[in-house]
Amino acid sequence: MTATIETFAGRRPHVQPRRVGTGAVLRWELRKLAHQWRAKAVLLAALVGPIPVVFVIHGQSRPPKDSLFGRFATENGFALALLILGFAAQWALPLLTSIVAGDIFASEDQHGTWKTVLTRSTSRGRIFWAKTLTAALFAVVTLAVLAASTIASSVLIVGRQPLTGLSGQQIAPSHALALVTASWASMLPGMLAFTCLAILISVWSRNPAAGIAAPAVIGMVMQLVGALGGVEPIRPFLLSTGFEAWHGLLTAPRFTQPILEGAVTSAGWCVVTLAIAYLTLRRRDITGG
Amino acid sequence: MRRTLISVFLAIVAVVAVGAAAFALDSGPSSITKARIERSLPATFANLYVQRAALQGRTGLTPASLHAKTMCDKGGAASPDVGAGSDWNCLMSWTDPEVPMPPEGYGKFELQVHSNGCYTAGAPSKLVGFQTITDKKGRTVNNPAYEFDGCFDPQGDNTPTGVVFPSLLTVTSTTVQPTADHKAAVQISCGTGHGGCTGTVSATAGDVPLGSTTYAVKEEQTATLTLPTALPAGATDVTFTFTSKTGVVPPKPSTIPLQG
Amino acid sequence: MTEALAVDAQGVTKTYGSLRAVDDITIRVAPGEVYGVLGPNGAGKTTFLRMLFGLIRPDSGTIRIFGNTWQDAGVGALAGVAGFIESPRFYPYLTGRQNLEGLALLDGGTTPGRIDEVLAMVDLSDRADRKVGGYSYGMKQRLGVAASLLRDPRLLVLDEPANGLDPAGIRDMRALVKRLAASGLTVLLSSHHMDEVEEICDNVTIMRRGSVAFHGTIAELRAMAPDPGHALRTSNDTAAVRLAENHGVRVEIDDAEGGLTVTGPQQAVSAYVAALVAAGIELRALTPTQTPLEALFFMLTDDETGRMEPQDLDEMEAAG
Repeated sequence: MTATIETFAGRRPHVQPRRVGTGAVLRWELRKLAHQWRAKAVLLAALVGPIPVVFVIHGQSRPPKDSLFGRFATENGFALALLILGFAAQWALPLLTSIVAGDIFASEDQHGTWKTVLTRSTSRGRIFWAKTLTAALFAVVTLAVLAASTIASSVLIVGRQPLTGLSGQQIAPSHALALVTASWASMLPGMLAFTCLAILISVWSRNPAAGIAAPAVIGMVMQLVGALGGVEPIRPFLLSTGFEAWHGLLTAPRFTQPILEGAVTSAGWCVVTLAIAYLTLRRRDITGG
Repeated sequence: MRRTLISVFLAIVAVVAVGAAAFALDSGPSSITKARIERSLPATFANLYVQRAALQGRTGLTPASLHAKTMCDKGGAASPDVGAGSDWNCLMSWTDPEVPMPPEGYGKFELQVHSNGCYTAGAPSKLVGFQTITDKKGRTVNNPAYEFDGCFDPQGDNTPTGVVFPSLLTVTSTTVQPTADHKAAVQISCGTGHGGCTGTVSATAGDVPLGSTTYAVKEEQTATLTLPTALPAGATDVTFTFTSKTGVVPPKPSTIPLQG
Repeated sequence: MTEALAVDAQGVTKTYGSLRAVDDITIRVAPGEVYGVLGPNGAGKTTFLRMLFGLIRPDSGTIRIFGNTWQDAGVGALAGVAGFIESPRFYPYLTGRQNLEGLALLDGGTTPGRIDEVLAMVDLSDRADRKVGGYSYGMKQRLGVAASLLRDPRLLVLDEPANGLDPAGIRDMRALVKRLAASGLTVLLSSHHMDEVEEICDNVTIMRRGSVAFHGTIAELRAMAPDPGHALRTSNDTAAVRLAENHGVRVEIDDAEGGLTVTGPQQAVSAYVAALVAAGIELRALTPTQTPLEALFFMLTDDETGRMEPQDLDEMEAAG
């Protein structure tokens, strides 16, 4: 080793001991994310994934009638974008956000790096919020990319025909584009709630595989439970209910109460899961790594 | 590893708990009600019927001019008219100068209603046509009103619509089966509607009167009617004449051949 | 006003289930001191250092670092402290430099060029732009030192810094620690090698099964040390044993290895060997078996039934 060590005692510290803000930690988390192939893979999948799906459905001789808007999907771009929305809500959105959110805490266990970051000048709380914010930002970007790609490819490949709404009403193409975009946007609260859930599982399980798979499975279970008859009392508390709230945008007259209720439910899930995750991380003894 | 197993275990416990809660709370009020469907279905159908008419080059029809109204029922008289299921039936009447309603005054729609407040409806093809129609340019196009999806506001207006249609009584037997003591028996069915089917039936075999009997059948149920007088020898068919107290009966007497 | 102690740990205890990983430890490190914590693997050294860094919460007792506690100052208690515990860990998908840049962000930033400086200090300048995933164990260890120096600490905590290194790596690492210590840094060094600690430390605590087995200066430790031992091979072992009685050394026949073991003060051993030669007994080999401090270390810590690995701790925590 080179002998360039001068007198340490005499030198002025380069680092003034001070608390580090969440912003700096957020920058660090975003930089790490930018270097992870899985984050790039998710964004790439969200960008190009809808294109073959649009081609395949467009090429079907019999439209998939058993899903909402399926009966128009082969000949109407807006209907196809809404059909894909219905499928995406069932499993793609929870999975896509979990690939980052379910890993963002557990990967520190996987790499044994908790001790590396927690022995700097940043509190556990700031690291927690920076990671949570990173996962949430990623969810927003992923949803935006997936929505833009699906709507653009559907409209470009299938076309801009007038859309028949859920009250049988005809919707002009320009208005339909706005409604389809709003429908995709209404997925955001639910997707963020799944992000929070993935964060909790990531913190608690310390296992990236569990953090990624469990929210997707829970999403499917909610979907199944919600589709059962006789579950009216618990339906409002399921995240899958909010994923169907966009139906109200496509009816005449429009109803948006379910979207608001879905947002409140999602906020509730986030508050509970993040609180448990935060306390778990704060109280945890870091013995590994 | 242990943590992963605990996670899986807790997830299973959570799912079981949710399932158990779902069954325990089974009696909770459903947002899927007769009144909401009765408001949503006619509006949706009217829009699509007008769309269909426009495809065929007809003008002058508007959703409002159809005056569509419906009465819905889930699973017959015995079952409460609430909740998701594929056993919803709706009787709908509307006004189209070119397509008059049948004598009972309505067509019957079959609905599959989902727990999220959306439904798939199948229209009566006698009144609406089949899957495809020929448009004004002679092309074969999809019939928008034949089968369609709709959704209603799960918190929408839930006051009863008050729309009521009578049940339609139909004779389901294609032949008259003599009973052991040579009496004429026939099976009838009472369709979806309000109040079921009650009234009197009288019959003749040729010129020989077979007497009359009263009937009372609840909606979406069947019954076998036996006439009091024995069949004369050599009778080949029986003519039934229905007189309704509630429900709609066939306007003309029905003549049904005797078996054997 | 007296300067606050660099480390002032009082009665620190940590229990996992029925196991006392750290049992009522008190350690005081004065500023500028080079302090050794010695003990076999599983003696509780690492658990203690994790508590110092706030990674583990003690069940009882207090730890002050330059006068600050975790309870009062939070992560501010780590101001002026740097180091690593067990082998340092980094993000394998980032380069060495990117790892350091990120850690600098978590420190509140650094001055330009400082990262290059610390990389040069640990001789990693030419590997800095390769992904850490491809680093050897020794390179990661050195990157760990660089990451610590980046904080310009007043107290440097090194946990088994030479662990897992090849002989050349051990020599380099010890030289680096010595230079750092000589520069006036307070160093808290944990090790299970007596010679590593003996070379550079002023004060030492020897831990055994979570408790303090010895505490004092190296000089005090030396005073307690037993006589050095030697293995001796002669042409006539029986005569050699008989001759020992007059020379103040203890000579025993080593049944396991064959030959003799000689224990006694260095001068007495020399006189005894001279006497052997004078008596016409042929001397075939005389080799030192243990240094006195090593012998003392093994005496103080020979019971390893409380042995515990970090993985065990993790499991226990999961169960608890």
